[in-house]
Amino acid sequence: MGSTGTGGTPGRRRAGDRWGGRTDRTDRRTDRVGAARRWSRRPAPTWLAALLALALVAAACGGGGDSDGGATGDEDAGDPTPGGRIVYGLEAETIDGWCLPEAQLAISGIMVATTIYDTLTRPNAEGEMEPWLAESVEPNEDHTQWTIRLREGVKFHDGSDLTAEVVKNNLDAYRGAYPARAPQLFIFVFQPIESVEVVDPLTVQVNLKQPWVSFDAALHGSGRVGIMAQAQLDDTRTCAENLIGTGPFRFVEWVPNQHLRAERFEDYWATDAAGNQLPYADEIEFRPIVEVDQRLNALQSGEINAMHTSDPQTIDELRDLDEAGEVNAFESSEFGEVSYVMLNSSKPPFDNITARRALAHALDFEEFNAILGAGILEQASGPFAPGNIGHLEDTGFPTYDPEEAERLVQEYEEETGRPLSFTYTTTQAQATLAQAQLLKEQAEEVGMEVEIIGVDQSTQIDSALQGDFEAIGWRNHPGGDPDGQYNWWKSGSPVNFGRFNDPEIDELLDRGRTTVEGREEIYEQLNERFAEQVWNIWIYYTPWTVATAPDVHGVPGEGPSAPEPFPGLATGHPVMYMWVEQ
Amino acid sequence: MPAPDGGLDLERPAAAPAPGDVPAAAREPVDAATGAAVPVGGRAARQGRLGWLGAFAIAWLAFVTLAAVLAPVLPLDDPNENVAAIVNQGPGTDGHVLGGDALGRDLLSRMVWGGRASLLLGVASVSIGMVVGGLLGLLAGYFRGRVDTVLAGAFDVLLSFPQLILAVTLVTVFASGQGVSSTRRMVVLVLALGLVSVPVLGRIARANALAWSQREFVTAARAMGARNRSIMFGEVLPNVLPAMFSIALLGIAVVIVVEGGLSLLGVGVQLPTPSWGNVLAEGRSELRQAPHIVMVPTVVIFLTVLSLNYLGDVVRARFDVRESAL
Amino acid sequence: MRLILRRLVHLAVVLFLVTLFVALLTAMLPGDPVDAIAGFASEEQREALREELGLDDPVPVQYVRWMGDFVTGDLGGYYTVTGERPVMDRVRDSLPVSLQLMVYAQVLALAVAIPAGVLTAYRAGSRGDRIANATAFGMLAIPNFALALVLAYYVGVELGWLPVSGYVRPSEDLVEHLRRMAMPAISLAVGQIAVYMRLLRSDMIATLQEDFITMAKAKGVSPRRVLWRHALRPSSLTLLTVAGLNVGTLIGGAVVVEVIFSLPGIGLLLYEAIVSRQYVALQSLVAIIAVGYVLINFLVDVLYAVLDPRIRHARA
Repeated sequence: MGSTGTGGTPGRRRAGDRWGGRTDRTDRRTDRVGAARRWSRRPAPTWLAALLALALVAAACGGGGDSDGGATGDEDAGDPTPGGRIVYGLEAETIDGWCLPEAQLAISGIMVATTIYDTLTRPNAEGEMEPWLAESVEPNEDHTQWTIRLREGVKFHDGSDLTAEVVKNNLDAYRGAYPARAPQLFIFVFQPIESVEVVDPLTVQVNLKQPWVSFDAALHGSGRVGIMAQAQLDDTRTCAENLIGTGPFRFVEWVPNQHLRAERFEDYWATDAAGNQLPYADEIEFRPIVEVDQRLNALQSGEINAMHTSDPQTIDELRDLDEAGEVNAFESSEFGEVSYVMLNSSKPPFDNITARRALAHALDFEEFNAILGAGILEQASGPFAPGNIGHLEDTGFPTYDPEEAERLVQEYEEETGRPLSFTYTTTQAQATLAQAQLLKEQAEEVGMEVEIIGVDQSTQIDSALQGDFEAIGWRNHPGGDPDGQYNWWKSGSPVNFGRFNDPEIDELLDRGRTTVEGREEIYEQLNERFAEQVWNIWIYYTPWTVATAPDVHGVPGEGPSAPEPFPGLATGHPVMYMWVEQ
Repeated sequence: MPAPDGGLDLERPAAAPAPGDVPAAAREPVDAATGAAVPVGGRAARQGRLGWLGAFAIAWLAFVTLAAVLAPVLPLDDPNENVAAIVNQGPGTDGHVLGGDALGRDLLSRMVWGGRASLLLGVASVSIGMVVGGLLGLLAGYFRGRVDTVLAGAFDVLLSFPQLILAVTLVTVFASGQGVSSTRRMVVLVLALGLVSVPVLGRIARANALAWSQREFVTAARAMGARNRSIMFGEVLPNVLPAMFSIALLGIAVVIVVEGGLSLLGVGVQLPTPSWGNVLAEGRSELRQAPHIVMVPTVVIFLTVLSLNYLGDVVRARFDVRESAL
Repeated sequence: MRLILRRLVHLAVVLFLVTLFVALLTAMLPGDPVDAIAGFASEEQREALREELGLDDPVPVQYVRWMGDFVTGDLGGYYTVTGERPVMDRVRDSLPVSLQLMVYAQVLALAVAIPAGVLTAYRAGSRGDRIANATAFGMLAIPNFALALVLAYYVGVELGWLPVSGYVRPSEDLVEHLRRMAMPAISLAVGQIAVYMRLLRSDMIATLQEDFITMAKAKGVSPRRVLWRHALRPSSLTLLTVAGLNVGTLIGGAVVVEVIFSLPGIGLLLYEAIVSRQYVALQSLVAIIAVGYVLINFLVDVLYAVLDPRIRHARA
């Protein structure tokens, strides 16, 4: 497990050079410096970058939390100019729409959701939650009761007022206590809520069954927990396509697989740091363009002026284009998701730790990165990406060691009298299928047998839900508060797909949920426990890049007059700060 | 006549009367199954001779078939071995004649092994179409009446599906669930594509059987008290076979193309087992960086389909297959 | 009239069987549709959903219910945990895209094939004829998706002439609309050009040997007029039939091309329904395609009989 600064492969080094190198980070403050560096738009020559990096480390150490490194590029761009139109290429269509409590949004869906809706809280540059649509979100002493005070005078797009009543109804809808709505996943997430009460027209009180220190993070839900207007909440027919929020843009039209259009909401409540009305752009249009090549073509031909991608080859290409001044590219694996092989520990062969360890030792990340990652991927040793609470450079997760892997395969065979063979379930999407094929080769090199099962997406989710798999390609656990992962890992939870039943992890999860101090340690321990038991085979932290036309700025919300941005891109970024040079 | 969505039309070159051969009055409305009267490939083919194109077609088909059959003993790289140095590299890199694919695998080796899957699929599924479709068509054409109504109706129904949609649906239903091995996927593909070709070959057989059953020698055999079975197989079938055979050649081409379409939709031969179609489909995402991954299978499929079409035309011209003359 | 009646009965029978077949197939799809639609739902929700979808009813009952809706214009809904979103809404957006694609491909194919077919027939055996024939034969062997990819790469990426993805409505921007439809339409048209050209050529050659042509020639009608007026008309009937048959084919056949160029047509919708197990939607979509296909054949048949006096008499 190479640390990020040392550059494990030639590819990494190249990346490091280009992006001014990332210093090894031991605490969360320097973390931010690394992040800030990578936000700069036009990578400077190496020596300049090195100097800058030094200066930034100094600034960060000396100046506390106000580092402004990310703004370097924006100074060329000048102040945001209002007007213009943003056409944003998304990687997928959200075919089930945006009836938020019932929706299961991935990054593309979240991008749209945060355009139309506001969440009560949102993360700041450190990933800590701050009130957003709420004026304040405060817990009582033992964190069993949270009081949400709303901003005054906030309007929904349909002209209705944001009131405590509406917020209560929304929260009830998310937790499955509002008759008109039938949420699925959110029921588990908000299961600790006992009741939601309206205290006064602008104050909501949430009573919990147990202490929950990161309830404010759950209210953000990676941007999924937007507040919908009463009219949409009660809409039993067209809830999914009739979007009404308080967000920076007002929904205009959605033609599935073609586009979703929204126009600037004149009465939007938020202003930037300089007091200018947000959002900057007049219009935004999202277009699902599934093929990444086509998305990039569309960006280069001017058909769209913004896009996102997590495809390593494309990210690599975008770096070159950024350097040549053809696009602005913003890259981050901070607070990202981890890509991994999820193992089913409820049945052979991966109910056996020898088998799990063997597979972990068989994974040749360097080859993986060179072939599939364009050399830019960062190896993961645990579920928490850089930036997250609980992230560790080295968790003790087994590293590539073919001899040891072979030995363990032998051991497994002697132990059980069976060859170590397993099925690997994957969707037929090109990227995941490529990953599956390479992993199969690597596993077979040390003597395992792997059969690839190609399924469609709904079958894959079925397989996971029903535990009808042995190994499966997966990507999950985006940043934010690690307590957000509670349901994915708690034993007995229906969405603990790997079905590991680990009392130590359960205990850590519960402590992390209820403890205020020392949470870093708790989640670091959890991380190490994962590595020790090899419940999953971690591969890499998913990098994301947002690229825009040269005259589009403001991703991911940085700029002279924007607040310092949350550096993660894994669950999208706010579009209200994006602006087009006029 | 729903053309296989791969872009080929099974019945397209079906009836091939030589110019001037068709009496004007006999110009029937074009039957949905037998397709239109279409002239054949070249002058040589039109006269039922092979010509240099025919020689080329046979040579090419022999070449790909031999390569596919001999793949295990040929001095080729492992088609699944990943070599980082040739990822997306063009032809000629490091002695890899056709270069490498997106996972650093030798493209030549994948094409040769892919030929195994593609050709096997083509031959196997069309054989099913030949046997099942041929038999049903023969029954329908020979007995006519109610049998014909039912069977021709069944063909009609099957032909009312765009063939690719039918194939996709069948593969999804029977081979995309949990725990479906790649072998099962292959079997389902053969059966699905076989089912797709049943009505096409069935209608050809029916049309021909219909025509031949009314000929003098059949009537004579019947008059002499020969049993239906022996007339059907002894007198009618041999005359129906050439037509079916010429269509079967086209059918193999169609199946190869349809497999490509299925692969693009993610339900073709299961990777990492290569087929021409899935090599092409995999190359789709590398079009910018490595267009050769798409171009190589495109050229191979093109040449193979061309050869099969041409030979189909030759066979048809030679045996004077004319389904439109019913 | 009797012909039309007979075809109508035929139409109804085929439609019944096609939809029944789809119903049986979808009933055999692996897994519980409820898992696909609402994987995380509670037991109660699942029960309610099963109830609502009528999944516990026997297949014939489900089929009859669906058929009743379908004939009254209700295509059913995409099912989510609560509420349903009408399939009709999506079809309304997608059908025009596929129809446009189909019409463009067809017009393009005929626009090239008719002159080529007539000229090659007129000059049968000439060098030009041989070259045209060989080209057509080659065109038949190009899979449309391969052509689509090659076009997307050379015209879209290398040359940068045309956008390679997405759809723009003609009402929004006609030029942009055509630019986006160009490559998909060409990909579909190339194979058809070859079919039509070869067809027309052989038909015309036969027609040109007929008595009424010789007569016209003898009367001193100019060769051009003989060719385009006298000879083309009877020959165009065969062409019409095949073109009609191909329309039905193209509706569904363009799935791959629609996927490659990200065109939000019926093909894409159908594929989506299959992979997300929206059974009702799947059934309705396949039925729509089958109806379209059978109807077009029906119309062509009727038209054919009306246009060509020889057929009218032969049948009578």
